[in-house]
Amino acid sequence: MSALWILLIVLAIAVIGYVLGRGRAMASAGGDIRNLHSLPSYYGFNAALTGLVPALLLMVLWTLGQPLVIERSVAGGLDLAAEATAADRSLLMADVRRVADGLDAAVGQGVLGGDASRALENGDEIRELLGGIGVALGSDVTEDTLRAAQRYRTMSHTGSLAMTILVIAASLGGTALAYRMTTRDFRARNTVERGVLVLLIAAACLAILTTLGIVLSLIFNTVEFFRLYPATDFFFGTTWSPSFGGGSSLGILSLLWGTFYISLIALMVAVPIGLLAAIYLSEYASPLVRSVAKPLLEVLAGIPTIVYGLFALLTVGPLLVDIFGQDGVLGVDWMGGGTAVMTAGLVMGIMLIPFVSSLSDDIINAVPQSMRDGSLGLGATHSETVKQVILPAALPGIVGAILLAASRAIGETMIVVLGAGAAARLSLNPFEAMTTVTAKIVSQLTGDADFSSPEALVAFALGMTLFVITLALNVFALWIVRRYREQYE
Amino acid sequence: MDDLRLTERSVDQKEIKISASNVQVYYGETHAIRDVSVEIEDKTVTAFIGPSGCGKSTFLRCINRMNDTIDTARVSGDILIDGEDIYDKRVDPVQLRAKVGMVFQKPNPFPKSIYDNVAYGPRIHGLARNKADLDDIVERALRRGAIWNEVKDRLTAPGTGLSGGQQQRLCIARAVATEPEVLLMDEPCSALDPIATGQVEELIDELRESYSVVIVTHSMQQAARVSQKTAFFHLGNMVEFGETGKIFTNPEDSRTESYISGRIG
Repeated sequence: MSALWILLIVLAIAVIGYVLGRGRAMASAGGDIRNLHSLPSYYGFNAALTGLVPALLLMVLWTLGQPLVIERSVAGGLDLAAEATAADRSLLMADVRRVADGLDAAVGQGVLGGDASRALENGDEIRELLGGIGVALGSDVTEDTLRAAQRYRTMSHTGSLAMTILVIAASLGGTALAYRMTTRDFRARNTVERGVLVLLIAAACLAILTTLGIVLSLIFNTVEFFRLYPATDFFFGTTWSPSFGGGSSLGILSLLWGTFYISLIALMVAVPIGLLAAIYLSEYASPLVRSVAKPLLEVLAGIPTIVYGLFALLTVGPLLVDIFGQDGVLGVDWMGGGTAVMTAGLVMGIMLIPFVSSLSDDIINAVPQSMRDGSLGLGATHSETVKQVILPAALPGIVGAILLAASRAIGETMIVVLGAGAAARLSLNPFEAMTTVTAKIVSQLTGDADFSSPEALVAFALGMTLFVITLALNVFALWIVRRYREQYE
Repeated sequence: MDDLRLTERSVDQKEIKISASNVQVYYGETHAIRDVSVEIEDKTVTAFIGPSGCGKSTFLRCINRMNDTIDTARVSGDILIDGEDIYDKRVDPVQLRAKVGMVFQKPNPFPKSIYDNVAYGPRIHGLARNKADLDDIVERALRRGAIWNEVKDRLTAPGTGLSGGQQQRLCIARAVATEPEVLLMDEPCSALDPIATGQVEELIDELRESYSVVIVTHSMQQAARVSQKTAFFHLGNMVEFGETGKIFTNPEDSRTESYISGRIG
């Protein structure tokens, strides 16, 4: 029976449990809900939850655990040469799984009867058979593999059957237990409250575990990369020339430089404009202007970055070439093509403006009115007040906002891919094409990537480096904000 | 009311510093101040008393045009300081506020050092010729604020790190540093404990020697302790104005009497 059906059955049991639990509670109270400890629906929910949660938990755990157990047992049964490595073993197990799945598919499509599938013994026959239904087998199927595959099939079959029975039994048992416990004095409300708490904790844990999982997968692949490629060459190498044929140099420095340079230009655009806009909006603008201008500014934040990338490629790049390129307005020949650090930096800066302004605006608004009154009361003008009292008071928050914007700039990909070009280069000229860490991660993993080569695995090392940098920036930003936040309390 | 110290009060006729006539204030549609006329003397402490929302703080904020910073506020009528109309078009409210200092209800030191807090006004208005001059001004202001001895060893420490009473005296010193002629105080002791209140009240009494002080207070005892003249506000009207001793012992208006004896407010 498939998982979907089991799920539906368990859900049906839970619904029935709800109705029965509610009914029993009503009956035990003689039809008057004032005699009950909790509202009737709580008894229903209690019955439904006890029927649902343990059964589903069992199902999840079983689904996760069964393949592991079977694999271990089947692999143990295979005779492998003593010198066989872990890689050989996993290769062989992949074959076994393929054959087993193929046979299952054959039975499912009706090409083969259930008994006939178990009676097969000849490897070539199977190859032909599975080929006919679209399952291509790589190597020859040895008898050993076939036997293992059959064992695999039997075990998974038994396992699924056992799971179905146990899950449904758990669901029925839970419902029955809750049903028996339902009396007018049973504290169903408290039980449901605990159930809700557990649900919320589970959701929080899941989010954290996912993050942990991402980090772990990065770490494992990074370690794998450093086994194939020396870490010193990676961190201190200045050339980036990957070639899948081997002999590539994978130095991160030129990529980090590109990332840093483009982010710097982006911040030089975004911070002054964003900050001044925030000061205008929070200090000078009338409520009417503010209510119109702020949402308009925040629209910028909602534009997908790929659209910014197009803007860079089609508008800003050619415009800059018209100004700084050959035969340009300025008559200087600084810029060869539209894709350059300047192009990507400018556009990324535009993207970050609402980020900086929105956060700074909130922070400036949080400076108490008494500060403004105090300064104005001493005969300071509005802009003196802003410059000497409000900005210093809001500075920690503004620095935090800028650092958060910086970590966004560092992680930005699409604008760079389209606006900055693909050449890894260590240069100070902002009109040259350069590339960033993120753009190279994309190019190393697009197309046919062989995940055992350093050229593909380097993407994970790049990702890990980036992750560490942005994490450090974020932590630093939060630290600054927290460290200085209580200045005016 | 034994603490009225009636005997200590001089009743000589003094120069009129602030003269308001027919002042009206509107907040949007609300008519907050109706027809207030008052003459405030120089080198005197004048107290404004009255129940919450009676308009005494609003009127105080008219005297240094702080109401200009509220978009919806409208002021009409005349307020003259030294015979000059402060609502005249030629008067720069920024200059005016340097002349009419203000201390607020809640101590509001800037998130700067104690020194920079006090030096803020003099720096903005260019009152010091050099660093030594500024040091002098700061020291004098802190002495006037009766806080010099407590902070002289830590002038670079943040002003926000002081206790509530010290913060309020720092704010008074900050206001005094710009050499104002009038000092407005909006319930300066409402956030302070009795000891700090006592210190600030003593300070107010000293400040009387050089300034015209106007203080808004909720505490009638405080008004009686520190002021020579008292004005009673009720529902946006100034009901009665006169010698503090007279207001508290022999008020003319029945509303004043009700308020003082605790029946309204």
